[in-house]
Amino acid sequence: MGEMIQNRTTMNNLERQFAQTVKEQKSTIYTVCYMFSQDADEVNDLFQEVLVNLWKGFESFEHRSDIRTWIYRVALNTCISLDRKKRRAAETRLTMDINLFEDRDEDTKQVDMLHKRISKLQPFDRAIVLLWLENLSYEEIGQIVGITAKNVSVRLFRIREQLKQMSND
Amino acid sequence: MNNDFQNTQNDLELESMRQQMTTLKNKLNQQEIVNDHLMRHSMKKTVSDINRTYIWLIVIGLLMVPYGYWAFVKLTGFSMAFWIGTSILMLVCAGATYYNKTRVKDANLMTNNLVDVSRRMARAKKFDADWLFFGIPAIILWLGWFAYESYLIVGNIEQNWLMYGGIIGGIIGAICGFSIHFKTQRQYQDIIDQIEDITAEQ
Repeated sequence: MGEMIQNRTTMNNLERQFAQTVKEQKSTIYTVCYMFSQDADEVNDLFQEVLVNLWKGFESFEHRSDIRTWIYRVALNTCISLDRKKRRAAETRLTMDINLFEDRDEDTKQVDMLHKRISKLQPFDRAIVLLWLENLSYEEIGQIVGITAKNVSVRLFRIREQLKQMSND
Repeated sequence: MNNDFQNTQNDLELESMRQQMTTLKNKLNQQEIVNDHLMRHSMKKTVSDINRTYIWLIVIGLLMVPYGYWAFVKLTGFSMAFWIGTSILMLVCAGATYYNKTRVKDANLMTNNLVDVSRRMARAKKFDADWLFFGIPAIILWLGWFAYESYLIVGNIEQNWLMYGGIIGGIIGAICGFSIHFKTQRQYQDIIDQIEDITAEQ
């Protein structure tokens, strides 16, 4: 009985820590999901899926790496690998009360321009440019996506070329 | 010269992307995760569980009246007074459970404000806890009366299997009752904690 109560208390503490982490990192998670989505439903699906995966790994996350790095890794892996055909059934979802695909204010138009540019890139390049836009160092980007810093630099050079080409087109 | 121009243009473009990213972050930072509704749904499920438990307890309490007449009076030969006492105890239990059930109607959870719901839950939890101050002495008295009634029928205490059976049944019933009680208390506390979490964020 005592052990059960202790387990439950530990669980509640873990849930609180997780809720706090999600609260602090929500914009990071949402940004990644947004950049890998084509519509509002998809971004909500991804957001939910990323939260599920974060929760699955939260207990075993041992803070050996920075929590933000870990969150990026989980979010990007989820967004890149999720089978889009397996859409979640409509249910109550944990998401944000914002629709960047339909809002029409000036800020959203700017954000939409960014989305359009980034979504033309391949998923792996999209991840790299996203992390670069978040002001992460080449080393940090490399750690998250699993390549060397040198490789990140080379890829970023190519990505810039691609972006330049896109704007010329 | 042309190359320099292109590099400058490229840098400007990347800079504009960074600005757009900042705009996105600012927009998102103003948002709260819509978890209130989800939390309410999760609480609603817990409240439904409590309600279901209460319904069972009420049904059992009411059924004990006719069953008690058959089992105690007709089958075993206990006194009518014992059956009436048992019936009153069961009806009081069912009534108290119904009274507390009305406080935790799950429909209110989706419409009332969370502070109100939290207060209701705290009151229901307290009532449920306070109930033990009546319930435990009442069940001890009832078991004593049961033992006395069985003694009147069988006479010999050492061979009074009816009494031992009743006491064992009473102990099993008490264990079940306590486990339901503690589970319900825990469920109430979970709901109150979740509401505190939500309201603290606002």
